[in-house]
Amino acid sequence: MKMEAMSLSGLDNTKLEALAHDIYSDLVEDACLGLCFEVHRAVKQGYFFLDETDQDSMKDFEIVDQPGVDIFGQVYNQWKNKECVCPNCSRSIAASRFAPHLEKCLGMGRNSSRIANRRIASSNNMSKSESDQEDNDDINDNDWSYGSEKKAKKRKSDKVFLRSLKQPVLLVSLALDIGNILFYLFIYLSIS
Amino acid sequence: MSKDLQMRAAINQKLIEMGERERLKELLRAKLIECGWKDQLKAHCKDVIKEKGLEHVTVEDLVAEITPKGRALVPDSVKKELLQRIRAFLAQHSTL
Repeated sequence: MKMEAMSLSGLDNTKLEALAHDIYSDLVEDACLGLCFEVHRAVKQGYFFLDETDQDSMKDFEIVDQPGVDIFGQVYNQWKNKECVCPNCSRSIAASRFAPHLEKCLGMGRNSSRIANRRIASSNNMSKSESDQEDNDDINDNDWSYGSEKKAKKRKSDKVFLRSLKQPVLLVSLALDIGNILFYLFIYLSIS
Repeated sequence: MSKDLQMRAAINQKLIEMGERERLKELLRAKLIECGWKDQLKAHCKDVIKEKGLEHVTVEDLVAEITPKGRALVPDSVKKELLQRIRAFLAQHSTL
């Protein structure tokens, strides 16, 4: 029994190699047959030559492979140095700077509102001391206006003032809460 | 002789049962597409069909034309990798 098994494993190296090649051939033939069936079905169902039209159209839209030109044949950095006229301020701006300029010029987009808020906050910080001395009568007469133009009313200036203080105030209140908790904890531990 | 055939049949069966044959098939298919073999053969198919006429092509025609060329066109790296995997499987599972 053992002798048979040993002789088998001795033969097996060449046999195994032949077997491996046979298995490989079977797999390749499976792949080829798969392709044949796919192609035959495409032919019979009529979609095999669907991507080929007449010769003229194929020549027109052939892929272009030249330097400085994209695959459609268009020059792609043609508009880099052109200048556009802004419809808002009527200045002529370079093409690559046009979109950010338009954002700021029209007052839309994320950055422009951030910059405007910052400007209001900083101008209110500077004029804060002045607005404290105003009369209450004066404040209630006027409609809402920009803080940078006139002396800001206390209400609106307070709002903006508070907004600029929001961050540190939040931190202070958080610190107070934590301090509170620690204080009670300390009392509780000292009692027990 | 028959022990040989028995062993072959047993190994083939094991190959199928463990799902290894499916995995090898998928691996081969993916590699052949990747290396452009499928596109090459498809172009050859186009020639054959144009030659035989679109209406009269049969599966047998295609198989007879495509299979030998397909076997020859498999790149060496793909063949080597597949043979390696098959040998590894046989080494693991040939102790019956």
